[in-house]
Amino acid sequence: MNNGISTASQDKQKLEWRTFFLITVVLFPVLSVMTVGGYGFFVWMMQIFFLGPPGHGG
Amino acid sequence: MKSFLTKTWRTLSRPSIHISLGVLTLGGFLAGIIFWGGFNTALEATNTEEFCVGCHAENIAPEYEGTIHDQNRSGVRATCPDCHVPHDWTSKVARKIQASKEVFAHFAGFIDTPEKFEDRRIVLAQHEWDRFSSNKSLECRNCHDYDGMDFTKMSPTARIQMKQAKERDQSCLDCHKGIAHHLPENMDSTGGMISQLEQLASNTKFTNGEEYVSVRHLPLYQEKSLSTEAGLLNPASSVKVIDQSGDAIQIEVSGWRKDKGFGRVIQEDFGMNIAVASLLKESATNDQIVEKFERKEDDLTGLPWQRVTAKLWMKKEALLDDVQPIWEQAKQSYQTNCSVCHTQPDEAHFDANTWPGMFNGMMAFVNFDTDSKSLVLKYLQKHSSDFSDGNH
Repeated sequence: MNNGISTASQDKQKLEWRTFFLITVVLFPVLSVMTVGGYGFFVWMMQIFFLGPPGHGG
Repeated sequence: MKSFLTKTWRTLSRPSIHISLGVLTLGGFLAGIIFWGGFNTALEATNTEEFCVGCHAENIAPEYEGTIHDQNRSGVRATCPDCHVPHDWTSKVARKIQASKEVFAHFAGFIDTPEKFEDRRIVLAQHEWDRFSSNKSLECRNCHDYDGMDFTKMSPTARIQMKQAKERDQSCLDCHKGIAHHLPENMDSTGGMISQLEQLASNTKFTNGEEYVSVRHLPLYQEKSLSTEAGLLNPASSVKVIDQSGDAIQIEVSGWRKDKGFGRVIQEDFGMNIAVASLLKESATNDQIVEKFERKEDDLTGLPWQRVTAKLWMKKEALLDDVQPIWEQAKQSYQTNCSVCHTQPDEAHFDANTWPGMFNGMMAFVNFDTDSKSLVLKYLQKHSSDFSDGNH
């Protein structure tokens, strides 16, 4: 019975580490790049439709 | 898959049991440093000359080579991204994303050869010129600051221009287009002046004995079969039609030429360097073609001049029966092109023989084709002090 609990707890630990790496190494970097890229795209579109090319001093 | 996602979500949404808060924070912190460092490194890697040349080796790199921004006595260089990528972070990221369109155009085959690039160059160049115009050439001025310029070290002509430019806080590219690149081929800074005039000229009807004016350089021939070339008629030059044969007309060019050498260039009037036609040596020395009249010596230069008329053949093309449309177009072109950089002098400020020197000195700053150049020069000469009253 104790063994059973210990196995479940080990599984849980493995899952936590795996999830941690998944979000820090894959998910968040991808999201960050998408956010920055999306921001760039948004500014670009704003420049095309409203702002015009970037002006003097930003 | 679904169970994987639910399991992951259940783990994520609850406090961890086995990994301490310290380890988690440290892990996230380190990953953040590595990510942001990597991100900036990647961004900078796309901001190097090597990266640009990776694709632009065939079309852009060779023309940039040897320009003042590539090689100079002090060895300070401005490479591709220094001028073409905004330095401000937001504008830079926006420009990087914009570049995805260019990459797409390359791989989708819209612009994937140097030839296609050349065809499109005027459009692409215009994008950059618009950008420079709106930020007043910020990327140039990151190094070339008006406030840092010592006007006393400039040559007098540069000083006059640059002081005015500073007063107006003018964008560098207003005048210095093509400083690191070839200008687009056939760039029409003349606004299609010649082609507009030529369209107008397609309606011209020819009558013997009437005078017509050329809108561009036109080839002249010795005989009506138009087989032996005799020379070139200059733009805005007046000729008299004396005979017609199908698509060909015989014309008479009259004027004065210097009685020296072969006398190849026929000028409009005695003592004035306003070219009407330039003949080849064979034609210029052929008495069958060139009829000679009285001689006169120019007191100013001591050169003898002789009045001549030349009878030659040419195609029925690009001739107008009225000079007025030509002067209007040329005037407009003079005003728009020259006022970009400075207040242009009044046409009658110089005389006909002074204009060519003044004008040619300015040609480095505009992109006139040879026809437009001669046309505008002739406009200036024909409206110079020699031809107008009450000026200088």
